[in-house]
Amino acid sequence: MGLFSEKQELETKTAVSSDIAVSVTGLTKTFSTRKAVDKVSFELPKGAFLSVFGPNGAGKTTLLRMLSTLTRPTDGSIFIDGIDALEEPDIAREHMGLISHNAMLYPDLTAEENLLFYARLYGVKDPEKRVIELLDAVGLKHRRLDLVRTFSRGMTQRVSIARALINDPSVVLLDEPYSGLDPHAIEVFDQLIESVREDRTFIMVSHDLEKGLSMCTHALVLAKGRVVTFAERGDLDADEFRELYRSTVGMGVA
Amino acid sequence: MADRKKEKLQESGRSAICARPSTFAQYKTLLMKDLKQEFRTKDMIVSMGIYAVLVIVVFGVALSFAKPGSEFLEVSGGLLWSLVVFTSLLGLNRSFSHEMENGCMEGMLLAPLDRGAVFLAKMTSNVVFLLIVEVVAVPLYWLFFSSYATPADTAWMMIIPLLVGTVGIAGIGTLLSTITTRTRGKDVLLALLFVPVIFPLLYACVSATTAVLIGGDVVADTLMVSLVLAVGYDVIMILASWILYEFVVSA
Repeated sequence: MGLFSEKQELETKTAVSSDIAVSVTGLTKTFSTRKAVDKVSFELPKGAFLSVFGPNGAGKTTLLRMLSTLTRPTDGSIFIDGIDALEEPDIAREHMGLISHNAMLYPDLTAEENLLFYARLYGVKDPEKRVIELLDAVGLKHRRLDLVRTFSRGMTQRVSIARALINDPSVVLLDEPYSGLDPHAIEVFDQLIESVREDRTFIMVSHDLEKGLSMCTHALVLAKGRVVTFAERGDLDADEFRELYRSTVGMGVA
Repeated sequence: MADRKKEKLQESGRSAICARPSTFAQYKTLLMKDLKQEFRTKDMIVSMGIYAVLVIVVFGVALSFAKPGSEFLEVSGGLLWSLVVFTSLLGLNRSFSHEMENGCMEGMLLAPLDRGAVFLAKMTSNVVFLLIVEVVAVPLYWLFFSSYATPADTAWMMIIPLLVGTVGIAGIGTLLSTITTRTRGKDVLLALLFVPVIFPLLYACVSATTAVLIGGDVVADTLMVSLVLAVGYDVIMILASWILYEFVVSA
């Protein structure tokens, strides 16, 4: 009877988790005695777009670093597409891409060399073809032989999108991707993200409440490492959310 | 335009299939990237080369009042190795500078990558760059000081301790520079950690180099013992560094 229950529970879990792209439970990160992230839990269905808001020091970037397996949590669990990211980080990494304010590109290599380097690390079959396709898609095929050092911030960020998609990830993490971009570059960036949204799950950390709200299907507010609110966009009244954000976080909203 | 881009990204995005590459394939990719980048910028090689020449000039000034004689051979091994150690320190401090720029280290660690491959590739590239500098600096050193004393016929054998020492320096230096590269006082910290840790290797290499320069019975007595000690140190420290690397980069 006991065994049967366990099996049944496992089947139920698997059935639920097949629709869940990201599942985080009790995620905690302690630096010395300070808790940067404190028992954060949430679940995201496949195809969702989560915007994570919060003031400086709220633990947003630490949360993203733990999700991307760059930082090991002190406690809690992370499942990416049903894969335990703490037990099987390499398999989880195959499912993820990260776009950050840091482009993660070598300035003294060309755009093509950078992408080929990452493609080979991920073991992309026919990496040359994939790199050309991605550079064409981000509108930089004609600059593929130029050093990244010679690119504008907006162009670098476009190559960075191509880099993050090189392994065809199902979960894309965005860490303040708009930092340093001018309005035109932001528009181009938004178009590119919109074009790859289908079937992918996004988690974006941002200070920009309006931008985050306009893109998200789910919203999460962090303050002092804790979840203040986590809700679906459809259940949120934008004005109430702004007010909640302002009062909880103590920041003005533009 | 946007629709065309969307179609292309979706097509390309879903058609690619990744197959995890072998550790050797990843090592090769990482090494080729390091070599391509350095041979293009020549940042590390040029700065190490210039520094090595300056150290030789300083040695020249320091020894300008010394009388020529065979005693010079007894200290020349030590002088040569101080040249190698200080030049290596400069290079090792810069070995992760490209990775730190633009968060490339994190980009690399996001890939499903054997962390040991990162260590081995970086160590290999450091060995290559150090050897290139040594190929220029060591003959230059002898050119400067050839008038002081004539080394024994066995002097060519100094290639062996130079090779063994360079591999050890690159191995332990790669691990330590990974630890110190994100710290504020990385230049001083690397030197503080590096010199005490490589002391046994340095001692063995100095004695082996001095033995082959002096020649005679000393070669047979000292060379093998020193080389066994140096090779043993290399094997143990490189294995330990390789095993510890996952922990070091994840910390």
